[in-house]
Amino acid sequence: MSLRVAQAIAAKDLRTEMRSRSAVSTVLPFAVTMLLAFGFALGPDRLLLARIAPALLWLAALFSSVELCHRSYQHEAANLLLSPVDKGAVYLGKAAAAFVQLIVLLVVTTGIVIVLFGLPAGRAPALLLLTAVLGIAGLSTLGSLLGLLAVRSRTRQAALPVLVLPLVSPVIIAATRATADLTQGTTAGISGWLSLLVAFDAAFLAAGYIVFGHLLED
Amino acid sequence: MFDGLAAVSQVSLEIAHGETVWLRGWNGSGKTTLLRLIATAISPTFGGGSVLGFDLRTERSAIRARTDLLSHETRLYGDLTAVENLRFACTLHGIDPRLAGSALARVGLDEVAAVRADRFSQGMRQRLALARCLMRAPALILLDEPYAALDVDARVVVDELLSTARAGGQTVVVASHEAPPAWLIDREVTMDGGRVTSAGVAP
Repeated sequence: MSLRVAQAIAAKDLRTEMRSRSAVSTVLPFAVTMLLAFGFALGPDRLLLARIAPALLWLAALFSSVELCHRSYQHEAANLLLSPVDKGAVYLGKAAAAFVQLIVLLVVTTGIVIVLFGLPAGRAPALLLLTAVLGIAGLSTLGSLLGLLAVRSRTRQAALPVLVLPLVSPVIIAATRATADLTQGTTAGISGWLSLLVAFDAAFLAAGYIVFGHLLED
Repeated sequence: MFDGLAAVSQVSLEIAHGETVWLRGWNGSGKTTLLRLIATAISPTFGGGSVLGFDLRTERSAIRARTDLLSHETRLYGDLTAVENLRFACTLHGIDPRLAGSALARVGLDEVAAVRADRFSQGMRQRLALARCLMRAPALILLDEPYAALDVDARVVVDELLSTARAGGQTVVVASHEAPPAWLIDREVTMDGGRVTSAGVAP
């Protein structure tokens, strides 16, 4: 039952996104504009651009996740509240839908970063892919929890970045460092960053599953 | 309490199983807040109560499983079609999704089953929300201004819902500023200033 609810929530969110193009029309332009602005501000130094490209990529993903997860609950919190389902399953469905959308977003922004900043692909594409998956999992699991808080809270949207940024810092740091090392062809020490990502993903997922229902009721 | 203001205060009201009660009052009298409290959409700041035998504070999930609240906030998804909206509701409420088709037919929306809800008029959205309620057949139906924005045909659908609920032994509470259709209700309760001013007037 719970798994079916999670699947239904995720499918509904993805279907509505496919039809409304909400993320494509608002979140993606935001991320692209941010990357372009940094590109122009930093000038034509290709070495500098390539060095900071991983950080910019993950910052774009972070800000996109804040916007995307907040939009995910608009006009829906009441419906989810009044449904007699396992609220943890609702959270899992929301996080899964956010994960898929953020992965698509990351693919597009990665393409831009490669072209604009000359980010090299490195020699370990599988590890790079794993980093992307783990990093986005962290952003979507935390964002899906705090996105609800922003909708239910009286302080609303202003609360979301204030809450997300400190909590998600370890994920952003680990994902950035892992991406930087891998794109520079270094795999030494990568397991430490990936382990950190796995630990935070698991912690956010468990906390979200447990706390989501309480936040919804609040 | 909302920002220090008591929207509903000292309300003591008993509704029998299977009863259809018309909650009447002007705007701001507390009708909607009372319905939202019963539906567990909000929590009481003070006091408590029992809905269908379940505690309003501690057994909220049990109440939600047996209650449907219909208001101008239809809780529909504009990007989903009519039938997708109902099927999604089926999943959330653990009922057979095959009931969606017949529910749409009952409210006259079967021909627009594949049309997105954001293309519907307000009246059609209300009817779709009614279809969701019919499909669920909850033990307690809470209707907030159910006739608002409805044309004559759709008003008949609400009357049918009230009639069917009454015949089926479902409990119904309707909040409205309009005069009740006397043949469809058992009792009229009036509210003013967040309090029940009369709890037992037969129409």
